[in-house]
Amino acid sequence: MNASTDQTPSVSLRGLTKVYGGATVVDGLDLDIASGEFFSLLGPSGCGKTTTLRMIAGFSDPTSGSVLVGGEDVTSTPPHKRDVNTVFQSYALFEHLDVHRNVGFGLRRRGIDKATIDRRVSDMLELVELGDRGKDRPNQLSGGQRQRVALARALINQPKVLLLDEPLAALDLKLRHAMQAELKAIQREVGITFLFVTHDQDEALTMSDRVAIMNEGVIEQCGAPEDVYERPTSIFAAGFIGTSNLMHGSWTQGCVSVLPALEIPAPSHRGSAEGDAVSIAVRPEKIWLSELTPAMHRVPGTIVSTVYHGATTQYVVSIAPDLTLTVLEQNLPQMRTDNRWNAGDRVEVGWLPEHTVVLT
Amino acid sequence: MGRAGKLERKPRFAVAVTVVFFAWLYLPILAVALFSFNDKKSLSAFSGFSLRWYDEFFHNSALIDSLVASLKIASVATLGSLVLGTMLALGLERVRSRRSRVIGAVTLLPLVTPEIVTGVAALLLFTGISLKLSMTTVILAEITFSIAYVTVIVRGRLSGISLEVEEAACDLGCTPFQALRLVILPTLVPALIGAGLLVFALVFDDFVLAFFTTGVDPQPLPVRVYASIRFGVSPAINAIGTLMLVASALLIVAALTLPRLFSRGTSSVDLITGGDRR
Repeated sequence: MNASTDQTPSVSLRGLTKVYGGATVVDGLDLDIASGEFFSLLGPSGCGKTTTLRMIAGFSDPTSGSVLVGGEDVTSTPPHKRDVNTVFQSYALFEHLDVHRNVGFGLRRRGIDKATIDRRVSDMLELVELGDRGKDRPNQLSGGQRQRVALARALINQPKVLLLDEPLAALDLKLRHAMQAELKAIQREVGITFLFVTHDQDEALTMSDRVAIMNEGVIEQCGAPEDVYERPTSIFAAGFIGTSNLMHGSWTQGCVSVLPALEIPAPSHRGSAEGDAVSIAVRPEKIWLSELTPAMHRVPGTIVSTVYHGATTQYVVSIAPDLTLTVLEQNLPQMRTDNRWNAGDRVEVGWLPEHTVVLT
Repeated sequence: MGRAGKLERKPRFAVAVTVVFFAWLYLPILAVALFSFNDKKSLSAFSGFSLRWYDEFFHNSALIDSLVASLKIASVATLGSLVLGTMLALGLERVRSRRSRVIGAVTLLPLVTPEIVTGVAALLLFTGISLKLSMTTVILAEITFSIAYVTVIVRGRLSGISLEVEEAACDLGCTPFQALRLVILPTLVPALIGAGLLVFALVFDDFVLAFFTTGVDPQPLPVRVYASIRFGVSPAINAIGTLMLVASALLIVAALTLPRLFSRGTSSVDLITGGDRR
């Protein structure tokens, strides 16, 4: 993260709410995004993340609540007066202008002199590696290049916060991965706050300083990528990022009783009482099939299926008639490439107690 | 190979029908063009090449007045329908609702309404409000009739412009009006050129509406030509016809090619037929 010289959050949302024809799309959002932070809003389509972005940009009026940019309330400020710029999903380039004039558009609107604009546009095009394409029209560029123009056109205005609405969604997988790294590098270099909206968990995890998982208009969990992945707090968060083995049970003497014969030790939860219903989750890659250590919690089961993924192999292990666990095992060099376990094998699975995550 | 050979063999019947069709379509027009260069008054025997009928046309002040009147009508009607049609298209495209779909459908009615109905309706309206028939009434009627063409073409182009483009302009510091002026209208230029040329060509040689709504003097060229034919056919009419044919053809060609120069890939043909929309 860029060293924040400014203590005022770049963006603050206070009880931000949007109701569309009776449906609450965004429900009382409270959020502070620090200056220089790369912040991602992650959620499935229809979770309200894009609506939130549009309210910050000013394209959509909140039903209630307020938007602060750099500590200043802009809730009723029109988009053209907000110190915020957007990279649109469709890029929204101006087809009648060449790349240079597209990028310089915002500066021209502010009445900055031509020499300064030319210099800053050239610098910005260098930054996004399009230094030699200034004279081209947008329709002469590839998807990745158009995306860079859109980024340059927004960044050049040095906004308090840059809003990115799924900007990589239209790119193919390889290009997307390359752009993720590049976006992150550019963000570090310019030090501008990025608010990134995506439904792609990999994107959010790899680029962000902090991720907010959004569902049905509310933020389910907000934290550093490791936190939201390793310590999900809700069933939704545990299921949306990566995969989780979910188990439902009730508290019994410091353990979670999932089945009469299966009690899993779990860190006790604040305010939980004996007999309360509780859900726990274990990530598939945290479960071991061999080399179990005494510290691990062990459960006997039967292999149901194996799927070879190349770098990993996925096993489904049946513990009880209505309980299966998914196990992801690295295919390490010392292992043979053929499956070591086959369907029907009796096995023992185990994981360390700290990898049991209690959900609310 | 045998099969391919069979497929490649030209169906003679289809070729014959095509030849007859084009002959039927273009021979009369070619005859008009040919006899406009005849040195005798005959419309059946070509006796020699001359430009006397063109000379006669250019020295007939009544016909020249009509030509000027038609050019004026077409120019004003083109400008008027471009302004109104574009405004209508912007309104319909940007306010998406069920009501705008109904209005959009109603906008297209003039395209399918028999022109004679439009003509009689315009005449009844103008006499009903005691508006003296003149060049102004022709222009009003032609604008009304042409708005639909402009709206269809401009909407075609507009629907290809994402709403995000307008938002991007506002995001970069434009007021909504500046976004329209600096981004949306420039993007529409190819469509506006195409629509303008098309409307000009349609209005310039429109007879039916002009016939119902024109005043006494000067009459639009097509009406004047029709009137003069009733007093006997002069080969000067052929000369006028040939000139109008050439001018209209040039306009149509311009309407189809000019927009392509302004934005590679989108001509007004695509806009009208809806093809190749990016």
